[in-house]
Amino acid sequence: MDQNVESLVAEVLQIPAGTINDDLAMQDVDVWDSLKHMELIVSLEEKFGLQLSFEEIVTMQSVGSIKRVLKDRGAVN
Amino acid sequence: MVDSLIAKEAVVAVFDLNADGLGELAREQPGVHCVQCDVSNHADVVMATTLYHEEFGAADVLINNAGILYSEPLIRISGSGVERHDPESWNKVLAADLSSVFYMTSCVVAKMITTRTRGVIANISSVAASGNAGQSAYSAAKAGVNALTAVWAKELGPMGIRVVAVAPGFTETDSTKEALSEGVLRETTKRVPLRRLGKPQEIAQGVVSVLENDFFNGKIFELDGGLIV
Repeated sequence: MDQNVESLVAEVLQIPAGTINDDLAMQDVDVWDSLKHMELIVSLEEKFGLQLSFEEIVTMQSVGSIKRVLKDRGAVN
Repeated sequence: MVDSLIAKEAVVAVFDLNADGLGELAREQPGVHCVQCDVSNHADVVMATTLYHEEFGAADVLINNAGILYSEPLIRISGSGVERHDPESWNKVLAADLSSVFYMTSCVVAKMITTRTRGVIANISSVAASGNAGQSAYSAAKAGVNALTAVWAKELGPMGIRVVAVAPGFTETDSTKEALSEGVLRETTKRVPLRRLGKPQEIAQGVVSVLENDFFNGKIFELDGGLIV
């Protein structure tokens, strides 16, 4: 699961996969702005076949929090 | 426009400044929710949309149809010399025709996003966006509406919200007759291959068609009878 999420984040943000870790957050990445965040959310929804609530979207501000939400939704182990 | 939407079984709310017009609409169409609101005033829009959302929840279609048609050349040469376009009129037209679109859309879309509501924003533009002599403010506003349509389609498309525009040509409305002289209307009609002005119901039909077409996005649908500029 971790690799799927991390590779998707790297692909959407167009940053090297090796720089992705759970602590990586929106404020750490210049290109990870509001518009890019929505693109990331939509990509996650498409990949994992779910629709995230607005409240969940707001909390998904880092790679680690993204993984937590997906795990809570049962989308990943 | 309201009639066309109701014919499609839409639940319609109309935001308008004109209380008398709203009263008449409410009598003719009791099912329509009428809200008096100056859409050119940001505070008014925030209050009216907040109350609307509290009662009805998120809308799935917004049609930005409010606006005023205004003609004034940049410079007039008169017996007393040169007169410049009235800046107050400029501000008023930009507020009514462009800022209103921005205010209403930002409030309505914010609610759509927080509720993950998919839908359509339809902006009523005009062929004047390409630049009509004598219509600095109106043309600038409508060109701005076209730009907002393109920008928002790119921003909101991934969230399932289409943004489209319909650009009527010269249409048989009271505002057209008030803004343009008979001579100008006559000359304009000659430039339409169909040799007539558009009818309001034809414009409404165009709006409904872009609302219904789920692949039409970010573009301007020109409804002008083939007007030759």
